[in-house]
Amino acid sequence: MLALPELYGHFHTSIEGVSWVVTAYNAAVAVTALALIALVHRVRARGILVAGLLVFFLASLACSLAVSLPLLIAARCVQGAGAALLLAASLPVLGALTGSVARGAAIWTLAGTFGIALGPALGGVLTQVFDWRAIFAAQAPVAALGLIAALAAPRRAALEEGWRSSLTRTWPANACLGLLFGALVGVLFLAVLLVITVWGYSPITGAAIVSVLPVATLVSRPLGRRLGGLTAICGGAALVAAGLVALALLPSPSAWLAAAALAFCGIGLGLAVPTLSDAALDPAAGLARSGTFTVGVRHLGLVLALASIAPLLAAGLPAAGRQAKLRAATVLLDAPVGLSTKVPVALDLAGEFERARAGEIPDLAKPFDDHGAGSDPKLAATRDTLVGTIEETITRAFRPAFLLSAGLAALALAVALVARRRVLE
Amino acid sequence: MTARLTFGAAVLLVLLAAASALVGVELGKGAARSVSPPLAKPCQARAPFAGGGIDGLIQRIVLDGLDGAACRLGTTREELVLSLRPGTGIRLGHADQSTVEEAIRAGLLRSVDEAERRGDIPGFLAPAVRRLVQTVPLARLIQGGISLGDLLR
Repeated sequence: MLALPELYGHFHTSIEGVSWVVTAYNAAVAVTALALIALVHRVRARGILVAGLLVFFLASLACSLAVSLPLLIAARCVQGAGAALLLAASLPVLGALTGSVARGAAIWTLAGTFGIALGPALGGVLTQVFDWRAIFAAQAPVAALGLIAALAAPRRAALEEGWRSSLTRTWPANACLGLLFGALVGVLFLAVLLVITVWGYSPITGAAIVSVLPVATLVSRPLGRRLGGLTAICGGAALVAAGLVALALLPSPSAWLAAAALAFCGIGLGLAVPTLSDAALDPAAGLARSGTFTVGVRHLGLVLALASIAPLLAAGLPAAGRQAKLRAATVLLDAPVGLSTKVPVALDLAGEFERARAGEIPDLAKPFDDHGAGSDPKLAATRDTLVGTIEETITRAFRPAFLLSAGLAALALAVALVARRRVLE
Repeated sequence: MTARLTFGAAVLLVLLAAASALVGVELGKGAARSVSPPLAKPCQARAPFAGGGIDGLIQRIVLDGLDGAACRLGTTREELVLSLRPGTGIRLGHADQSTVEEAIRAGLLRSVDEAERRGDIPGFLAPAVRRLVQTVPLARLIQGGISLGDLLR
């Protein structure tokens, strides 16, 4: 996620174009996982895990070497297929290695949570120290280590599985999970774009702000254990919705307000997701099958959310960009600075707007700094007002997309309440 | 068990209340208000540019003139200025270039008249300024009345 702003600039693409880097991966995970449900119990889990890690390893290398956006998206599709295989197979393998379905499932869920926790911070550091390619290059050795470990595991590392043809018992829990993961898109995809592309924070600082979410998720786990299952799910979904409403209502760029809103989203996910994850697994229907099913539904939620949120954001940005330019013109025309400074700054600013239209991220402070804002307090004040006005206008353009994400979390709450007797069966 | 549940539920309620308070803080900080500065209506009088000296006078004339032109064209001063530079992506769909030029020159002439009436421009200089507004290429006039500045110096 934290490489998205750099990809946006590197490939001179649109919001929708860059969203496909995430959408393609999650769509491939969802499609592959849902297709695997009918087959996963017939094949040895260890074999699927090895195949998945090998595909993921090769696709990660291909992503890191991609020379165009279509190639990157294609490699991400293959990477997603590999991820679906390894996610589906790792649950029964973990169960067998630990000797307990419950322990294996707990480690599986915890590993996923830690992945979300470490991902943004690590991605931010790699993007800033190297570039976006480093994120994918770093995934390859991790996959290679997993591959070595999987090959070293006992050949028959797979659980004796139960069999129940239908997975309908887990539908309510999976529906809630799919909706909450859709809402998670709003939190991560939108928040990363907002913090780095619009507010201009570095990837590392952006990672620090966004990492409030997974930290809050981990911190809230003890509270989740104190609550009843339904209370944790409903309370968690309500907190995610409230956090997203708070992100939607950000009055102006503010890292503190954004971090506070992300913290509520994180706590909500920490309360609801572990309980729902337990409810979504049905060992009687086959651990591998129900695990694969829930992986598919979660990523389907992500894909559907991305497919609706990215176009909604992209549709609102041109109008917001126009408003931002007009307000910037107001600030500059009325600025209490001399013509000899105002005119060249205005011309350079127009050049920055042209860069923005070409898909690059404009540096709106640069024209002011180039013409002496460092030593001219009036020009510096004009720069700060103009940049603030533009950032505020674009920040408000994210509001409908954040509200849509909040709607997904509210829908998860509604599903949990309506199906309260079945959600925890 | 009940006590643990009660404590957990209490913490959850506090968190929900805190999330609501955060939304309240954002509303208090202007989340429901529109972004400032608002785009002023060009046909309504506004406070003149406050700068002093020749530079301030030129900016007053140009800004008043742009307001007059925007009023005449049924747009805003900002849209008009940005539409003059193709790269900004702002266009006046309803007016061709000659109409825009005519409106800007008319607006500036009216602004010069106002400046003369206020005593900002000496009477003997006003005809020369008007001639300049009528003859100098539009781009130079809009780039801050640099030619006017040259003349007044």
